[in-house]
Amino acid sequence: MKIFSESHKTVFVVDHCPYMAESCRQHVEFDMLVKNRTQGIIPLAPISKSLWTCSVESSMEYCRIMYDIFPFKKLVNFIVSDSGAHVLNSWTQEDQNLQELMAALAAVGPPNPRADPECCSILHGLVAAVETLCKITEYQHEARTLLMENAERVGNRGRIICITNAKSDSHVRMLEDCVQETIHEHNKLAANSDHLMQIQKCELVLIHTYPVGEDSLVSDRPKKELSPVLTSEVHSVRAGRHLATKLNILVQQHFDLASTTITNIPMKEEQHANTSANYDVELLHHKDAHVDFLKSGDNHLSGSSREGSFKETITLKWCTPRTNNIELHYCTGAYRISPVDVNSRPSSCLTNFLLNDPRYKIDGSLEIPLERAKDQLEKHTRYWPMIISQTTIFNMQAVVPLASVIVKESLTEEDVLNCQKTIYNLVDMERKNDPLPISTVGTRGKGPKRDEQYRIMWNELETLVRAHINNSEKHQRVLECLMACRSKPPEEEERKKRGRKREDKEDKSEKAVKDYEQEKSWQDSERLKGILERGKEELAEAEIIKDSPDSPEPPNKKPLVETDETPPVEKSKGPVSLLSLWSNRINTANSRKHQEFAGRLNSVNNRAELYQHLKEENGMETTENGKASRQ
Amino acid sequence: MDDYDKTCLESALVGVCNIVQQEWGGAIPCQVVLVTDGCLGIGRGSLRHSLATHSQRSESNRFPLPFPFPSKLYIMCMANLEELQSTDSLDCLERLIDLNNGEGQIFTIDGPLCLKNVQSMFGKLIDLAYTPFHAVLKCGHLTADVQVFPRPEPFVVDEEIDPIPKVINTDLEIVGFIDIADISSPPVLSRHLVLPIALNKEGDEVGTGITDDNEDENSANQIAGKIPNFCVLLHGSLKVEGMVAIVQLGPEWHGMLYSQADSKKKSNLMMSLFEPGPEPLPWLGKMAQLGPISDAKENPYGEDDNKSPFPLQPKNKRSYAQNVTVWIKPSGLQTDVQKILRNARKLPEKTQTFYKELNRLRKAALAFGFLDLLKGVADMLERECTLLPDTAHPDAAFQLTHAAQQLKLASTGTSEYAGYDHNITPLQTDFSGSSAERM
Repeated sequence: MKIFSESHKTVFVVDHCPYMAESCRQHVEFDMLVKNRTQGIIPLAPISKSLWTCSVESSMEYCRIMYDIFPFKKLVNFIVSDSGAHVLNSWTQEDQNLQELMAALAAVGPPNPRADPECCSILHGLVAAVETLCKITEYQHEARTLLMENAERVGNRGRIICITNAKSDSHVRMLEDCVQETIHEHNKLAANSDHLMQIQKCELVLIHTYPVGEDSLVSDRPKKELSPVLTSEVHSVRAGRHLATKLNILVQQHFDLASTTITNIPMKEEQHANTSANYDVELLHHKDAHVDFLKSGDNHLSGSSREGSFKETITLKWCTPRTNNIELHYCTGAYRISPVDVNSRPSSCLTNFLLNDPRYKIDGSLEIPLERAKDQLEKHTRYWPMIISQTTIFNMQAVVPLASVIVKESLTEEDVLNCQKTIYNLVDMERKNDPLPISTVGTRGKGPKRDEQYRIMWNELETLVRAHINNSEKHQRVLECLMACRSKPPEEEERKKRGRKREDKEDKSEKAVKDYEQEKSWQDSERLKGILERGKEELAEAEIIKDSPDSPEPPNKKPLVETDETPPVEKSKGPVSLLSLWSNRINTANSRKHQEFAGRLNSVNNRAELYQHLKEENGMETTENGKASRQ
Repeated sequence: MDDYDKTCLESALVGVCNIVQQEWGGAIPCQVVLVTDGCLGIGRGSLRHSLATHSQRSESNRFPLPFPFPSKLYIMCMANLEELQSTDSLDCLERLIDLNNGEGQIFTIDGPLCLKNVQSMFGKLIDLAYTPFHAVLKCGHLTADVQVFPRPEPFVVDEEIDPIPKVINTDLEIVGFIDIADISSPPVLSRHLVLPIALNKEGDEVGTGITDDNEDENSANQIAGKIPNFCVLLHGSLKVEGMVAIVQLGPEWHGMLYSQADSKKKSNLMMSLFEPGPEPLPWLGKMAQLGPISDAKENPYGEDDNKSPFPLQPKNKRSYAQNVTVWIKPSGLQTDVQKILRNARKLPEKTQTFYKELNRLRKAALAFGFLDLLKGVADMLERECTLLPDTAHPDAAFQLTHAAQQLKLASTGTSEYAGYDHNITPLQTDFSGSSAERM
């Protein structure tokens, strides 16, 4: 359904003239004597609703269903017509609810049977309805503002549902003419106004209602085009429940609704609390909910609902849900519903069951800008080692108090104190020579010595803290404390004794740390570190990733292996499977997205000189070391 | 499916139709590739015959198109365009696409029929229908190059106002995480497998596909498996935490990333697309306002994680949640009157409930202009008063008389007593103190 179809604006025009005070002549027993009461009491006489009461409660039921299923963007304007038009609400979303309408109707009260019939007419209401259809709704306004120069694309269509007691077919004809004439006039006015919109399409639904037992003076007439702008249909309906049924059918037609009956819902019996019986509950909802059903050909259509009125309903058997709500199910659609019989016991049992989520609910909504979440993710991921063996500090309980607060936008004095405490604690650990959880996976031998372990740990902690020093002055203080306390980097002499590779690695990451302020080169440093480490750790590390139980296959491994099995296209002209044709194509496409290997970029005649850095005096430019050594 | 030695495209399509429905039902999009030499068969069962009788079908021998599931029909003709155009074959095949609501396309061979040209035709099909969507998945500073299968389809929001199809961003930015219980199986437009593309920017060429040197490729594969990938981290974390990641697909368009098990041992990172708009899932409220909980004054999940801000309560409750009054069926009215009567007989214990029900009926009767009902119920309460047993609490009679009198005043319809927002309150009596009741 388009947003601005006829269903965007519905105007109810209900006749409030003296004859509407007449009885519908359908009696309601309301004094239902409960059993085992004193004998001999005569029940109070049944009462009957007026044509007005029938019209109002049927219209309210129409609105109830509409608001349940379309709480937004489907609007109602309610007009009551007697010696003038009384517009009970506006198009604004705040005015769109049953309570507002009920209060306004109570203020109007029932029609006065002693008023002068000559002064009263439904025409006042119909004119006001056309006028109100020209008024722009907030949704139309919003759409027009958004579209700017294309504002004319926003449609203005609407529907007038008029409930009246007409005198004859020619009386009906006169009402239609009046609406048509009024639209014509108001469209002229609207053309010269910024606040009004011309009516492009108006659907007039005239409902003639009359007391049960009387003959109708008006005949039914299906929808007919009276002009390019106006269509009209006439329904002649007896008052009482017949009128309610008619409006129920109309709301389904107007809003593309369909019916589903949930069957076999077990409920405790009212009288005997320990027994349970099965009930059915009929629900209305948008008919899209049935699309897949109908397509599958397996339509559980059952002829008619209990009322035997109009509808076809699809029956679904109730299935008590398991209380497991941690599973995601594939869901192609969710639709708002409205119970046909809202306050019947089975309906309210069902809706109460569904509304009472076992979890405790809080009132009031959270309104925190989503942008804040992006900021937070940015901060939290400034330093985030991807695999456990790449980190020391995140394997240490002792670091948690610092790591958990340093990512914050601002720190309290207490936070700073806690960070400092954490650092002192680490110094203490180092003094006592406590072991550190340095990963030895894939390393040969026992792994680094204790003092070196601490150096790695301090370096990593520094990386983390440095990533956040620009957050606030307090973050800066944490770094100052860290720099003052951490074990100093070893002397140059000592360093030279160590293996060259390890030195490269360490220096690289230290250098990267210093670069952070200009660029987020920590990321590159992490990758670099990863590559360098892989040089030594070989396959063992791959095992770690692969073995973590939840990991998908390593990227692209499978398709590539399968490519291996089939001869490459160019080599043999034999048959190629569709799969290999496909995977070759995809892989070629993917490879185009790769950043070219720097060695190849710098190569001469496809040959790149290796170990260039060794020629350089300081031997520091080792960016491609990891890769180069493998070739 | 059985195969036969006669060209009978309709039976083939019926077979496809049945298999797809048995296997996946009617909601999963499917691409159907029909490979044909462009000959339509002869006599009964030929495509010409099928199309000629198309308008005379009953429900039992419905033509299989349009397919009863979201579909694309690709017809691969092992013939070139000129050959097909020399007969009416192409027209008939085009009819098939039309019958599938225009969903699909016909491919023909360019140039003479040879292996190379056939491969080139299938290459075109692959490019059109089987090319993954390339994107960069981002979460703060963490990123991964990913391919998304199948390609997300463009989506038209409202054909009247905004007819331009929306396509998803190539930068997929994660904007937060939420419990599965809170997002609770939301409706989605489509779902897609998210696979990392094996490459890293230092220049390791991984997954380049066609190389002549298999040894080199093997080592490349091993390396690919060793590179820590954000997808792996994300997938594992979502699975362990029982959460989904909310991902921004475009302006006012979101989706979710989650772990989906396809067997006991294996699960995959998947992405589902929500309907575009500011509030695709009403129970979460506006997407733009789903900020981090650390920004909330009070943790909405509670200190012990025993509560949740979701589902959000709507501003205006739906009719089934607000105890509306509907008297269209006599039983609705009778139930409401009986509720009053039952409480009237338990006065003064049920004073509060009695007045609550009385005021509910009063409000509805005033709105519906049903003043006779107010008079009727007033009469009924007066009669109840006369029927009170001797043992009844004296307050009962006072309250019944008071209530009846108030209803009668309201039934006059004069504004003084018939105000909609006015409530009848219990009569303050000397006994009122003892009528305290727990609601």
